Amino acid sequence: MDTFSFHDYKADYNMRINTWYISSLLVSIVVSIPILTVFSSFFEDTSNYFEILKSTFLYEYIINSFILLFGVLIFTLIIGVGCAYIVSFYNFPGVKFFKWALILSFAVPAYIYAYSLTAFFENFGTLYSIIKSILGPGEYNKLIPKFDGMLGAILSISFSLFGYVYVLTRASFHYQSQNLLELGQNLGFSRSKVFFSIILPSARPAIVAGLALVAMETLSEFGAVSFFGISTLTTGIYDSWISFDDLAFANQLSFFLLLFILGLFFIEHISRRKAQYHSPSRGGVKQKKKLNLKGSKSIFAFSVCFLVFFISFLFPVLQMFYWTIIFPKNLLDLNILQLLINTIYLVFLSSAVLIIFSFIANYGNRVTRSKFLNFLTMFSITGYAIPGVILAVAFITFVAWFDNNIIKYYELSSIKKIFIGSIIGLVIIYFIRFYSLAYNGLKSGYERINRSIDESSYLLGYSKIKTFLGIHVPYLRNSIFLIGILISIEIIKELPITLILRPFNFETFATTAYIYASQDLLEAAAVPSLFLILIASTFILITSRYILKD
Amino acid sequence: MPENFFEIENVSFTAGGKNKVNNVNLSIENEGDIICLLGPSGIGKTTILRTIAGLEKIKSGQIKLKNKILSSKDKHIEPEYRNIALSFQENSLFPHFNVEKNIELGSNRKIGKKKKINQKDVIKFLNLKNILNKYPHEISAGEAQRASLARSLISQPDLLLLDEPLSNVDQSFKEEIQVELKQILNNAKITTIIVTHDSYEAFYLGSKCGIILNGQLKQYDDPYNVYHFPNSIEVVNFLNRGILIPAKVTGENSLENKDLGTIKGNFIKHYPNGSDVQLLLQPEDLEHDDQSNLKLEVVDRKFRGTNFIYTLKTNSNLLIPVFVHSHHIHQHEVDEKFGIKRPINIDHIVCF
Repeated sequence: MDTFSFHDYKADYNMRINTWYISSLLVSIVVSIPILTVFSSFFEDTSNYFEILKSTFLYEYIINSFILLFGVLIFTLIIGVGCAYIVSFYNFPGVKFFKWALILSFAVPAYIYAYSLTAFFENFGTLYSIIKSILGPGEYNKLIPKFDGMLGAILSISFSLFGYVYVLTRASFHYQSQNLLELGQNLGFSRSKVFFSIILPSARPAIVAGLALVAMETLSEFGAVSFFGISTLTTGIYDSWISFDDLAFANQLSFFLLLFILGLFFIEHISRRKAQYHSPSRGGVKQKKKLNLKGSKSIFAFSVCFLVFFISFLFPVLQMFYWTIIFPKNLLDLNILQLLINTIYLVFLSSAVLIIFSFIANYGNRVTRSKFLNFLTMFSITGYAIPGVILAVAFITFVAWFDNNIIKYYELSSIKKIFIGSIIGLVIIYFIRFYSLAYNGLKSGYERINRSIDESSYLLGYSKIKTFLGIHVPYLRNSIFLIGILISIEIIKELPITLILRPFNFETFATTAYIYASQDLLEAAAVPSLFLILIASTFILITSRYILKD
Repeated sequence: MPENFFEIENVSFTAGGKNKVNNVNLSIENEGDIICLLGPSGIGKTTILRTIAGLEKIKSGQIKLKNKILSSKDKHIEPEYRNIALSFQENSLFPHFNVEKNIELGSNRKIGKKKKINQKDVIKFLNLKNILNKYPHEISAGEAQRASLARSLISQPDLLLLDEPLSNVDQSFKEEIQVELKQILNNAKITTIIVTHDSYEAFYLGSKCGIILNGQLKQYDDPYNVYHFPNSIEVVNFLNRGILIPAKVTGENSLENKDLGTIKGNFIKHYPNGSDVQLLLQPEDLEHDDQSNLKLEVVDRKFRGTNFIYTLKTNSNLLIPVFVHSHHIHQHEVDEKFGIKRPINIDHIVCF
């Protein structure tokens, strides 16, 4: 992050105030609102709930959050790095398939994984039925392990999120040069010593970046932990608002969580910056040679990858599919078309808003070259680190405050209905949550456009707006497509924001699945879950080439 | 007094908040004139072009084109409204358009202008026909530079700025392009400022040359004068076309050097008798003569195609360069003696 001084601000003020500056500034300010709201709410009075909670559940929330985080980090580290290593350094049957198949786990949200896990292992569940059909009736429930509670939550979140570690580590392994490995061999290192002394340390920034993303997502996770009845800071925020109607306390819990997450965000940011040093210079890296595995080693590598692919993707899909088949009534009862329209409507609207405003902010930053704006943007994109629950609650807090203080003062009609429980509110919070994804995606596209390209355009007589529309937009069309798809995947899977801010009777696949599951109707949750996974998988397959690029 | 076509008055050029070239005064009298700016890398030549183009602002002085102020402390016309084209040294082609489309974009600005430059002619003389359908990432740096030059030419600006336009072009092709470029600029009467570090290119293309050294425009004159009458020791050192040797003025038309003896010629500036000066001795000033009794030791010999450059050592250990036509009847090896014709006559005597 660039350092920023008051002198810079003065220089900005004198030199660069224009339409692009103001537009870019406004976008950054809007995105910063929830963060500022959470911080300002920390000092507000709360109800007695806080006192009750402090003496009872608060420590449980914190301890559970830590156990969950620790468990998920260990699992994702082992699975993510292990798979990345196998597909990056060895050739065996199916390696090309597994390279992209392993990222399909992104399509399965942790809460859907949790439904599958429960459904499969519960008393008289799917596994029971399978055993019974093979061995005949019997008391098998005692023999079947139960993956519920904390263990269930850890497994569900791990298999849903290990993809972050896998993708980033694989990219880092991919760019490790043959020279580096040969150097280790020339020094007489064994294969395992090469792995632990050379391969792993040089991929460390990528691994840390992946784990930091996993950590942030884990702390934000709502659906799976709430399904397993684990009390974490995130579910605490939801409960304090929904059950105890204490917005101020929800915000205070958010403050703690936010500090924690911003710490992780900082680690991730630093690691990512270091990870850039691993980018190869053009033509400077000797392509790594993969080792061809044969016999039992080949079978072992295949088995590991297949097992991870099966458990993380095929297992939940098959479980949902199985239920859809054996309970066809749920399929017929559900208004799938309406859910599809609602989901697509949200996806298109939010993607369009995100891409348009990210473009404006990026171009504004580029044209003005303002350090102040750059600093503000860096601050505003921290939105992706903030759990959806916090964003939703902070947004409601802000709207309520604005309505009670500003709108009432001027005796205008209330704006609560416009923003709370409406599509507008939903899109605004999606915007804040996924702004960093859109902004950074476009930024990395923009970084490939040399500034002299813009200057050439001006010198050919093209205005700034013509340069933007005629040069940048066509050039970045692939980036726009990719970002649009990535945002779509996130919005399709998104649960807490949609759950809190959606209009009355407006459901998506995610909310429908959650509502059924929370009513213990897991069979009914299977149909929307299956559709959700299928749509998200399709989008992932479309973008897999880009996701696996680096 | 007629107004100059283009004028820079007391402008200090800055880049990244640092002054690069201070207090520059420079003018182009007539439309269609070509001038060249010469100077070492990093001295601020590109900054000057970027500022003229409107990509950088100025804090003092003014820049005028056709008697209209483009830049001053209080005024800054944006680049897109200046009708000035700048061809960058690095590849600045639009990456998502092919070469042909890139070149076509140059015609965006020909509003109300009589067509003087034909796109096909430019493509032909810059040898771009075979790469028209290729994208910028598929062509070489030299080809990209030529395509960029074509785009700038086709835009037919009031003022064309070329930043090292042929630095990436193959040597074999360079001279050919220089000839045609000069021709096309002259025919179309496009006023041009060329930045280069190649003095031969500057001397050929420019009707005037500016030498930028140590943050200043040291000399701005026609190429002949810059070469033969450099106005400072810094310019002599930069052009690297001769050496300065100590001498004493002995008369209206003569000097004395203790190794070379009497040197005669026309002083371009008056020095009193008995003055100690530094005389500029250029390689073509001395003539080889095997019969001469003034013999110097050969310490180096460079073959330059049409001629050799011998480096000779005097008794005082001065190293003096001398041109000899390469068809000269015999060659001298290192450590051999080399005769210099006496008396030494120099057409114009430059001293400091």
